[in-house]
Amino acid sequence: MSQSLSVSAARRRPAAAPAMISDRWFSILLIVPAMAVILVFALLPLAYALNVSFRFADLTRGGIGAFVGLDNYRAVLADEMFWASVGVTLKFTVSAVVLEMVLGIAIAFLIHGATVGKGVIRSLMVLPLATSAAVTGLFWRYLYDTQFGLTNYFLGLLHLPQPNWLGDYTIALWSVVLFDVWQWTPFVALIALAGLQALPKEPFEAAELDGASTFRVLRTLTFPMLKPVLFLVLVLRTIDSVRLYDAVAVLTRGGPGTVTESMTFYLYRTGLKLFRMDYASTMAIFFLYAMLVASLFALRPLLKQFSTRASEG
Amino acid sequence: MKRTILLAAMMATAAPVGAQAQACADADRVPITWSTIAGFYTDAMAKLVAGFEADHCVKVNVVNIDNSQLYNKQVIEMVGETGAYDVVTLETSEKAEFAENGFILPMTEYFADKKAQLDDVAPTLAALTVQYKGDVWGLPYYTYTAGYIYRADLLEDAGEKEAFKAKYGYDLAVPTTWKQHRDIAEFFTRKKGAMLKGAPLEKDFYGVGLMAGPFPEIQDEMSGVIWSQGADWLTDDGVVPVDAVEKAMNDYLALMQFAPPAALTVTYDGVMNQMKDGQIAQTYSFFLDQWPNAAQTETLVPGARMGVAEAPEKKAYIGGFLLAVSASSTHPKEAMDFVAYLGGHDAQMEFAKAGGTSTLMSVLSDPQFADPANRAKTGHFGTLLAIFDSMKGFRSNLFDTPFGAKIYNTMQIPLQSAAAGQITARQAAEQLAAQVEKICGGPCPIGK
Amino acid sequence: MLQRDSSFAKEALRYGLIVIVLGFIVFPILWMVLTSFKPPQDVMVSPPRFLFTPTLDNYYHAIVDKNFLFYIKNTLVISVTSTVLVVIIGALAAYSFARYNVGDGHILFFILSTKMFPAIAVILPYFLIFRNIGKTDVGRFLGIGLDQPGALIISYTMFNLPFAIWLLVSFFQDIPRELEHSARLDGLSRLKVLRKVVFPLAAPGIAVTGVFTLIFCWNEFLFAYILTRQKASTVTVGVESFFTLQGILWGPVAAAATISVLPMMIFVLAMQRYMVRGLTFGAVRG
Repeated sequence: MSQSLSVSAARRRPAAAPAMISDRWFSILLIVPAMAVILVFALLPLAYALNVSFRFADLTRGGIGAFVGLDNYRAVLADEMFWASVGVTLKFTVSAVVLEMVLGIAIAFLIHGATVGKGVIRSLMVLPLATSAAVTGLFWRYLYDTQFGLTNYFLGLLHLPQPNWLGDYTIALWSVVLFDVWQWTPFVALIALAGLQALPKEPFEAAELDGASTFRVLRTLTFPMLKPVLFLVLVLRTIDSVRLYDAVAVLTRGGPGTVTESMTFYLYRTGLKLFRMDYASTMAIFFLYAMLVASLFALRPLLKQFSTRASEG
Repeated sequence: MKRTILLAAMMATAAPVGAQAQACADADRVPITWSTIAGFYTDAMAKLVAGFEADHCVKVNVVNIDNSQLYNKQVIEMVGETGAYDVVTLETSEKAEFAENGFILPMTEYFADKKAQLDDVAPTLAALTVQYKGDVWGLPYYTYTAGYIYRADLLEDAGEKEAFKAKYGYDLAVPTTWKQHRDIAEFFTRKKGAMLKGAPLEKDFYGVGLMAGPFPEIQDEMSGVIWSQGADWLTDDGVVPVDAVEKAMNDYLALMQFAPPAALTVTYDGVMNQMKDGQIAQTYSFFLDQWPNAAQTETLVPGARMGVAEAPEKKAYIGGFLLAVSASSTHPKEAMDFVAYLGGHDAQMEFAKAGGTSTLMSVLSDPQFADPANRAKTGHFGTLLAIFDSMKGFRSNLFDTPFGAKIYNTMQIPLQSAAAGQITARQAAEQLAAQVEKICGGPCPIGK
Repeated sequence: MLQRDSSFAKEALRYGLIVIVLGFIVFPILWMVLTSFKPPQDVMVSPPRFLFTPTLDNYYHAIVDKNFLFYIKNTLVISVTSTVLVVIIGALAAYSFARYNVGDGHILFFILSTKMFPAIAVILPYFLIFRNIGKTDVGRFLGIGLDQPGALIISYTMFNLPFAIWLLVSFFQDIPRELEHSARLDGLSRLKVLRKVVFPLAAPGIAVTGVFTLIFCWNEFLFAYILTRQKASTVTVGVESFFTLQGILWGPVAAAATISVLPMMIFVLAMQRYMVRGLTFGAVRG
């Protein structure tokens, strides 16, 4: 105690300055660096996109051109390919996220009950997370190849049908989903597992003494207590899935035709292949708007939780 | 081995470097950057660049970019006027766009006193790549002009010939019509266990390799068919001729059943892998610069012998990678010198020796490349000369509209949808017409 | 006895399922590593070859001919710097949100919403911004410009901050205020309380935030591809230099890919112990 006092006394001068400011100023100072980065590098591009969305802008025809009012918004709303890409994104997001959550939680329970080797299991589970979709996706393309791929080779050995994973327009999107499930299910599983392990023991012991059924324990104890963590993972996975780009770019490039063309990939094609920045920016604005509306529902509860804890704590 | 070559190259260039040493210190060297496609000739390029640096007080930096990304990467740098790339590499359909937008500099004046060098470029190619609206825009240094690459051992096998004649009523030979080509594709499509050249097949065998994956190469394949109908992707009025595209698409669909299922996911490299693994008998209308790659089949597949010929009906995708000088280059003079050097006779000779497919008549017709000893690398040169002769004066509106690059980068979508069976040939042609109209904002302007 | 049998069967089933799951997870990576040791004639063959004479040629080609370690070096510098920045800037802001509830949740919501913006939509504005910064003296001095590490460091910092702040807020909320109060009463300045009391207690959260940020930076492709050309290119872009006119050089690509994921795997494995608690994001209070 006296030691720490003497330390602070010896360094009174430098320590004195921050002590003089109020909590309010201190709290604002703390967020200044983050806000500076975010204001410049989020708002500037946003302003650019907004501006461009009201203009004619073909980068290979004179760059940013004349003001055209709401023409781009009308064009995008009337663009069938845009809506098709929205449909692909929704289909992908719902199926990938549901699969990842269900499988992830199931795997977490599976591992949670294991008595030995948990460390090794967890280590192996982490691997897909550490790899880049742009790189491992390439090897999935190789695995999916109908002429040289291992997947169909094994299926052939078992005399099972050998689908054209990325070439058949009825299943190409599911092949992309499968890749995403491979990469992200372990993420969900690891977090759910960590959640399971962090659960307090007492309520469960009490439930056991009461002779509650497994199902009842799950329904009334485990899931309610895991809910915050699972909800967070769900939101995270949803945000990432909606922005699906790398996996499509490396596996199918939106093909066959446009059946796997996600919104972000269509955005890429419009902005960086056709160089129609006006349409691309307009789509980005729509995208952001949709995400904001969605997140009002998804994030508000989380934030409420944060702020109540902040004020009570 | 590689080191020996490099050493030899360094020794070969050592003398001129020494001579230049007083005139040019390393610090004085003007830096120029060339953006190009990653490829086997990168090693050859080290040699070529050294040769250029020996005579010029320049430091050349070569940036290798994945072929599918080259276009947008270069456009971004051009739009941003960054000057990052001094020399750019353009596909045939991109030239008009780059010229119209002022992304690249005309080299008409530069070549005014170097007419002989321009004249050495194969005239058919020069008309498509060098010229636009009366100006000279650079030099093509590499051609991917397409032809017919096939398993000669199969087409010349006595047993197969006999069976073919019995089935189709004419002799099995290199096809000269699309109909014959289709027949050959059908004839050689066989299941695992069936006989090929008198021996049972260990895996399924296919009559033709196709590039119907999500890449622009599907339209390269179809171009030969469209063009041999006397049609083009764009009419002179700048619209897509729906009927002609539908017909070509239907021909293509008829071939799909004789191609490996992977056709729907691959481009040329996948087709080459299938060839080298002994899975396909022929290629439809294939980039001849891949000949050295295809020739490896002879060592990888027992008994295989490769052949190369003109495409059926003597029409196939044609063009080359154009070297042009960026308008935002800070050293345009040096960049132009580099273009002239790389596209020039001496450098192209070196390039060809390394397996590159040259664009110069003097190189293509050099007797050393016709030598059977060089067949694995340059066995396709003779065929190329024949194609240039057959397609003399050929033009395509696709290469003469400033929207060519964007159209080229979009075309594969409806075409691939049809190839995958999602839409009909008619729908594909109509969608293509609608998308092209949208890209051009009406009929596409054609500038010659 | 009967019960032991059934529990044994249950365990056998459990481990059987675990092995299947792990096989599915590990196999694609294993195949990639296997491919990296294959000579070219054994890669694209049907049926696939499991037995072959392993070679180091692919690694030689990637490391010696193509200087792939250069990309690793770039990636390391860029990722680590970004991660350090994200963790520091993010922790300061998150602490403020957690303790003082600055902006009553509105600012936090705004920050989180920037995570929604698709990268592809901002890439061209970023290109133009960094082109312009790069032309200034400050930009040149700090190395912030196109094809310079600074551009990627800033981009990655920006794109990871929202997530980092979000994660860290909940960890800081878990730290009892009393500890800070007593430290303040001991005469420690606010900053010192942060450094000596708060941050060490939030270490698992900071670790997990750092891990996720580093993984994101290491594996990012789009920004790296547009904002760099060669000098500052990272591994994901470097891998593309093996996509040649002769097709994808699968052996060297596999070697390069293996080299590029190896540091991340080692890192994640090393941090794993730390991450267990961190992974719950403080949302489960045990």
